[in-house]
Amino acid sequence: MGAYRAEDDYDYLFKVVLTGDSGVGKSNLLSRFTRNDFSNDSRATIGVEFATRSIQCDDKIVKAQIWDTAGQERYRAITSAYYRGAVGALLVYDVTRHVTFENVERWLKELRDHTDANIVIMLVGNKADLRHLRAISTEDAKGFAERENTFFMETSALEALNVENAFTEVLTEIYRVVSKKALEAGDDPTTALPKGQTINVGGRDDISAVKKPGCCSA
Amino acid sequence: MKALRRSHTSTSSGNSSSPLPSSTSLPSSSSTTSSTSPPSSNSSSSSSSSSSSSSSSSSSWIHLRSVLFVANLSSPSSVTSSDRSRRKSPWSRRKRKWALTPHQWRSLFTPEGKLRDGGVGFLKRVRSRGVDPSIRAEVWLFLLGVYDLNSTSEEREAVNTQKRKEYEKLQRRCKMLLKRGNGSTDDLEEEEADDQCVRFMDDYKTPGPMTSQDVVSAANTDSSDTDSCEDNEDVQLLPSFVYSDEKKPEEENNNNNSSGENCSPPVASSPEIQVELTLHEDFSTWQRIIRLDALRADSDWATYSSSSTAITETKARGLAESVGLKDYDDNLESCRLYHAARLVAILEAYALFDPEIGYCQGMSDLLSPILAVISEDHEAFWCFVGFMKKARHNFRLDEAGIQRQLGIVSKIIKSKDSQLYKHLENLQAEDCSFVYRMVLVMFRRELSFEQTLCLWEVMWADQAAIRAGVGKSPWSRIRQQAPPTDDLLLYAIAALVLRRKLIIQKYSSMDEIVEECNSMAGQLDVWKLLDDAHHLVVTLHDKIETLSSQSLSI
Repeated sequence: MGAYRAEDDYDYLFKVVLTGDSGVGKSNLLSRFTRNDFSNDSRATIGVEFATRSIQCDDKIVKAQIWDTAGQERYRAITSAYYRGAVGALLVYDVTRHVTFENVERWLKELRDHTDANIVIMLVGNKADLRHLRAISTEDAKGFAERENTFFMETSALEALNVENAFTEVLTEIYRVVSKKALEAGDDPTTALPKGQTINVGGRDDISAVKKPGCCSA
Repeated sequence: MKALRRSHTSTSSGNSSSPLPSSTSLPSSSSTTSSTSPPSSNSSSSSSSSSSSSSSSSSSWIHLRSVLFVANLSSPSSVTSSDRSRRKSPWSRRKRKWALTPHQWRSLFTPEGKLRDGGVGFLKRVRSRGVDPSIRAEVWLFLLGVYDLNSTSEEREAVNTQKRKEYEKLQRRCKMLLKRGNGSTDDLEEEEADDQCVRFMDDYKTPGPMTSQDVVSAANTDSSDTDSCEDNEDVQLLPSFVYSDEKKPEEENNNNNSSGENCSPPVASSPEIQVELTLHEDFSTWQRIIRLDALRADSDWATYSSSSTAITETKARGLAESVGLKDYDDNLESCRLYHAARLVAILEAYALFDPEIGYCQGMSDLLSPILAVISEDHEAFWCFVGFMKKARHNFRLDEAGIQRQLGIVSKIIKSKDSQLYKHLENLQAEDCSFVYRMVLVMFRRELSFEQTLCLWEVMWADQAAIRAGVGKSPWSRIRQQAPPTDDLLLYAIAALVLRRKLIIQKYSSMDEIVEECNSMAGQLDVWKLLDDAHHLVVTLHDKIETLSSQSLSI
């Protein structure tokens, strides 16, 4: 309920969506990142919800508005409407359930059909703490991410492993692309992108790198 | 004062005139900061702590509400029917009496166990007062149409036996599917086709919350000469279905294609639509998601359910194993594991019973309270079926049901307050998708457990009254004030939005409205909500009904 507009101080606001199958841990990744909180029995998300958190990139404050969407396929028609305007996406699967990885391809298509071509996407293998139950190897997922030109990271919302890194890396990348664009245009990024304006995140080349887990310092 | 400050501060940040509702850099939702606020209404923490929201924020709502209330009364649209709207609603604080007590409940029956005057008095009482928790398990069977309002105790006994058998049959099919471990129900359908066909069609002719579809399917089926004595009562109730037919012509039309031909219950969407909307969901998908959701169901029912303490670990684990529920935390309390296993059993049986809907997330939110109240599985299942007869349309693949509901909320807001509606239009939020969750799980995420039950009971009583066609003489006085409506929930939701007019008008993007709606958990009072809804029903019911039927006939 916090309604303190005084904290409403940021240079950029980026909309990021969380997608992926039911029960892969999207809501917990979000609560870990925005509130450092984890719940063992969070109920299924109905429709969409969102939370925000600000981070620092260079000397700028980047505010992330992260939309958490329902995972069941049937909800896609509703949730896809919320992809509109997203400049980043975390596509989450559960490293212990193969079917959630198989469905990544469909989610990716869904994302690309409904968002700007330059969206920064990261494939996220969550529940990495369940080492003895792992069903998808890091190499397989990394290979997939390389082929699909997305970032990749394995996380554990439970152990707070790489959650910060995953979000920060996506946001930093969006920031990098945006400020580079602005510089190319010869503008100061802050004034070039006043609040309320859509940000174009630049060309595909900018986001082709596949990063190693944990490579980004938070 | 706090409310005013809130509005004021919203203004300062809401001065962007951007027409892009969800573009990247709107100053929206700035209220959510990592340190101060939970993201939206969320799930996890709200489940058992809905009352723990800070007192300061809730008091601010009360202040604001009173401001809005004055504004509402003086708005032009309520002038025309001011006489009616000034009457106290059955839910106004002063007028509301104690919930239906066990003693009163028993006195409602004749010596042969029939509800007096066809259940009219019963429904009236439940509608205005709610039900004492100790008799809910009995009362709900009537409210949800498992038992006919005109049945004798002897007839109910027979129905109960029959329903138990039918549920057990579904259960056996679930277990067979589980053993085979594949998602295909095809071969199973063939094996039992004839048998099942008769059974499912019977289900839809036995007493209960029949809808227009049921009438159509009953009419199209030759085998209507069943021996069940309840059929006579159905015939008597037919006039009320004509009423509901008028309301939902789209369902009737669609249903002509599917009635009586297959083993599933009457379905609402046409085969053409189904082809277009083929998803990758099959029974095995449902099995998987049902188990996920069962294990992460809310637990605020646990304090309510008296039997929950009596569940031994052996019993809970046994049931979990029998429904194939694995992968649970070993530390999970027995009563919660038992509850989860019951959810799995009944949701899977429902997915077989109604394969067009199958399982959709949100359905477990609707079933969970029923399980907490009703300890017999087969009774809980049929209560759920009764609940879903209307609710199932919200879960349809083609979204027609949910869109219709959101459309009605939108119409109510438009009719009541064109200014607010215009603002919503400017934010591209006039489709009211921001109340999606409230419509779908019927305030389960916003209200406490007990309050949810109160709301649902009132809603069910309204719907039962409509089904039974009691809108005429005995209800005439109530009719003048506020007729029973199928859409009470939608009026309540619209009232909630209208109450927040001052806040919403300060917003400059739909995101902020979504956040507002998602953060209402713990702040709502069910009787206030119903009281607000009452005013809207009184002033707008006829108009909305007309508008809805017009738009449907186009």
